[in-house]
Amino acid sequence: MQKIKRVFLGLTLPLLLIQSQSVNAIDTEYALKAGFLFNFARYSEWTDTSNAVDHFVLCSPDRDFIDIASTVLSNRKVNNLPISTKTVSLTDADLSQCQVLFITSDTLNQWLNSTLGKLNNIMIVGETEDFITQGGQIRFFLSSGKIRFEVSPEKLTAAQITMSSKVLRLGRVVEL
Amino acid sequence: MKCIKGKTLKIVNRLLLGTLLVSPYVIAEEPLSDLDLDLDSLMAMDVQVTSAMKRAQSAFDTASSIYVLTKEQITHSGATSIPEALKLVPGLVVRQLDNNQWAITSRGVASRFSAKLLVMIDGQSFYTPKFAAVYWETLNVPLYDIERIEVIRGQGGLLWGSNANNGVINIITKNSIDTRGVYADVSSGSQINHDVNLRYGSDIGNKGSFRLYGHVRDGDESDKGISLEPADFTEQQSAGVRFDFTPNDEWSGLIQGNITQSSLGQNFRGVIDETNRNISFTDDLDRTDSRVMARIENRISANANQMLQTSWLKQSGSQTFLQEHFESFDIDYQMNFLYNDLKLDWGLNYRYNDISFAESSFVRSDGGYNTLHQYGALIQGQYSLIADELDIIVGAKVEHNDLTGWENQPLARLVWKPQKNQVIWTSISKSVRVPSLIEFNDDFTIDGQRVDEVSPITTGINAIDKYYIRTYLNGNENVKSEKSVSYEVGYRLTQGSWALDLSAYHTKAKDVIAITVDSNIEQFLPIFGLLQAGQLDLAMQSLTTTSINFDIVSNAQVTTNGGDIILTWQPSDIFNAELGYSYNTFNYDLAENTFPAIGYDSKSRQLFAKTDIELFDNHRLFASIRVENSNAYDVDNYTALDLTWQWAFHQNWSAAIMGKNLFAGSHIEYSNTGETFTLPNYIDESVTFKLIAKF
Repeated sequence: MQKIKRVFLGLTLPLLLIQSQSVNAIDTEYALKAGFLFNFARYSEWTDTSNAVDHFVLCSPDRDFIDIASTVLSNRKVNNLPISTKTVSLTDADLSQCQVLFITSDTLNQWLNSTLGKLNNIMIVGETEDFITQGGQIRFFLSSGKIRFEVSPEKLTAAQITMSSKVLRLGRVVEL
Repeated sequence: MKCIKGKTLKIVNRLLLGTLLVSPYVIAEEPLSDLDLDLDSLMAMDVQVTSAMKRAQSAFDTASSIYVLTKEQITHSGATSIPEALKLVPGLVVRQLDNNQWAITSRGVASRFSAKLLVMIDGQSFYTPKFAAVYWETLNVPLYDIERIEVIRGQGGLLWGSNANNGVINIITKNSIDTRGVYADVSSGSQINHDVNLRYGSDIGNKGSFRLYGHVRDGDESDKGISLEPADFTEQQSAGVRFDFTPNDEWSGLIQGNITQSSLGQNFRGVIDETNRNISFTDDLDRTDSRVMARIENRISANANQMLQTSWLKQSGSQTFLQEHFESFDIDYQMNFLYNDLKLDWGLNYRYNDISFAESSFVRSDGGYNTLHQYGALIQGQYSLIADELDIIVGAKVEHNDLTGWENQPLARLVWKPQKNQVIWTSISKSVRVPSLIEFNDDFTIDGQRVDEVSPITTGINAIDKYYIRTYLNGNENVKSEKSVSYEVGYRLTQGSWALDLSAYHTKAKDVIAITVDSNIEQFLPIFGLLQAGQLDLAMQSLTTTSINFDIVSNAQVTTNGGDIILTWQPSDIFNAELGYSYNTFNYDLAENTFPAIGYDSKSRQLFAKTDIELFDNHRLFASIRVENSNAYDVDNYTALDLTWQWAFHQNWSAAIMGKNLFAGSHIEYSNTGETFTLPNYIDESVTFKLIAKF
């Protein structure tokens, strides 16, 4: 099996090299988005405190994103809680441990096809066009190559999350 | 997995370190976990590794002497105009002629009509081919909505085009999505009667945003003139708008426009009558400056993007002895992409200029250049010889203009990062300065020459010998473009809370314009003939038809050498300080019987310090001190301190008191009056109060 893998890698290596810069460019975007998520968490309050937590957990079904986020956010704290990052599958059980869930464009279909109960107490952030109408509360978009975001304060409130006006002010508020 | 992580680390490091290094909020070489994830910083960063050109991507890695003036510095300093904000850039020569006019450059001698510094707002050039001047006094950009000002000292020819030999100043304004809401400020003080700004910004559905703004300024005259009473008042009204559209992540666009109406008082000196002598007088200058710019950006993929920008500029000026009208239209296309270790940028540009000038007693056009076309292409490649360590950059810009034809501006640079917190760069570049129409085409009437100064024969008749002959600065088609080759080297280091930026250069320019006097002796022979025939009246009459030309010739060489040192220290979030020293020498190598046209052999030194301190909650002190030591401007050395105290007394309101030019006393900053028709005034200490509201 290992050998097959090696042969396969050898064959695809030139291709991977061509792709390598592309990986870099996506890394940059995700590193910045991880930073934004950290700030969303820092400037928000999870008002339902029924479950005591000892970690602040940032989740995503996208393993590549979590790899980048874990590097960017290592040793960071939110409300004095250390941040951990987790690759999750989109199941109620897996998501129950998350405070923030990021659905990347690559994992949007998983999100749309998932059958989840009401996700209370989780900040759900996406980066695709209609994400807020598809169950999210916040969506990233790009303007002249820079990251900006749309946010629905109503939906955040419905999920029992209050975001500071300092951050809301920077986003484009969406009324649904 | 590990490999991805390592790479990510490098990218994040490069990204954060690079972007923030030259800001006073220095991110030093720290463990990744300590990196600044401040929301403001994140919002300022580009997701693309490729970025639109005419923009510096990462100041830390840039192979040129770049300084980024941040929006925080601009607002904390309390600057009330672009030139005042530029005083915050170490190594930039910013000299004030009077309360309206400025002479600004880097790595050379500044002139009111300095042709060698390219000034842009969001990539739109403000170069005027007639005088090669930038009208700083009418360049209205709301300072509170500036994202940053990028200043490149030295040759920027390649990416930015011609006439950027001494440097480039690119003023980048904020995306309107970041300026939603109401902003207002009111200033008044010893030199400003009132200066009022108002802006409103909002969303356009969920696909865009806009802002509208207006500005009114009523400025006072200076306190003291040299030979005339100061008349340098300002009455200015300005309005502008910017729209940004983001239909999706791949496309974004912007349209912006501004119109500024100014009435400026000035003291001039010029030849306006038959005496052929310079006469000092006071006059008003009315100017209307309009600009419109539109840009479409497209992210083709994660590693390629393209940009199309078009802009229009219209400037008209009217004063008693001079009527000018200038329009230009630009279109630029650029594409940037990454392929393996190669980053490639290429672009095409076209510019149309329409210049019309009423015949005036000052300027007489030889004709034929009412419209000027300019077009060109550029290509630049950056290749990683050793990944993340050694990059080579090679490029060339080829451009055609109607005056001197095809010009090329190649460059080669090396960037070596021996360690993540150190960069050594070196560069060789050629840059071209196309002559202005004054130099190439026009005749400009200057102070008359006396017969006995220029004629080898004197008559003994005072009416003849002491007669002042009409004298022209004669622009002519023999004037060539000036070519300079610059060798630069630089070093940057970040260590803990310290950052160091060193650069040095040696630039040699040839075909530099100089002046040679053509007395045209033959024209006097008939007059002497008439005198010998005893016909004094006729001789006198003939004398009025004679003229002397100060011909512009392209045969001088200029060598400039120098360097800049900038040390930045930011031990904490509430304190940062910057210390800078610049040294520049400027030397002509002139052909026989010629004299310099712009500047003369000189040495300039500048010592610079500034600090930004948050004293206690809601109070902030910003101080900058400049020690200007130079023999290039025919004035005494001076030291000026600017102090600003800001107090945010309410979450929406703040107040500031600003002292400018403190301790400098009444001083003159620029006195090369041979190069300008403006008569400078004494620059004085001033105090300004400002009230700011944000909702």
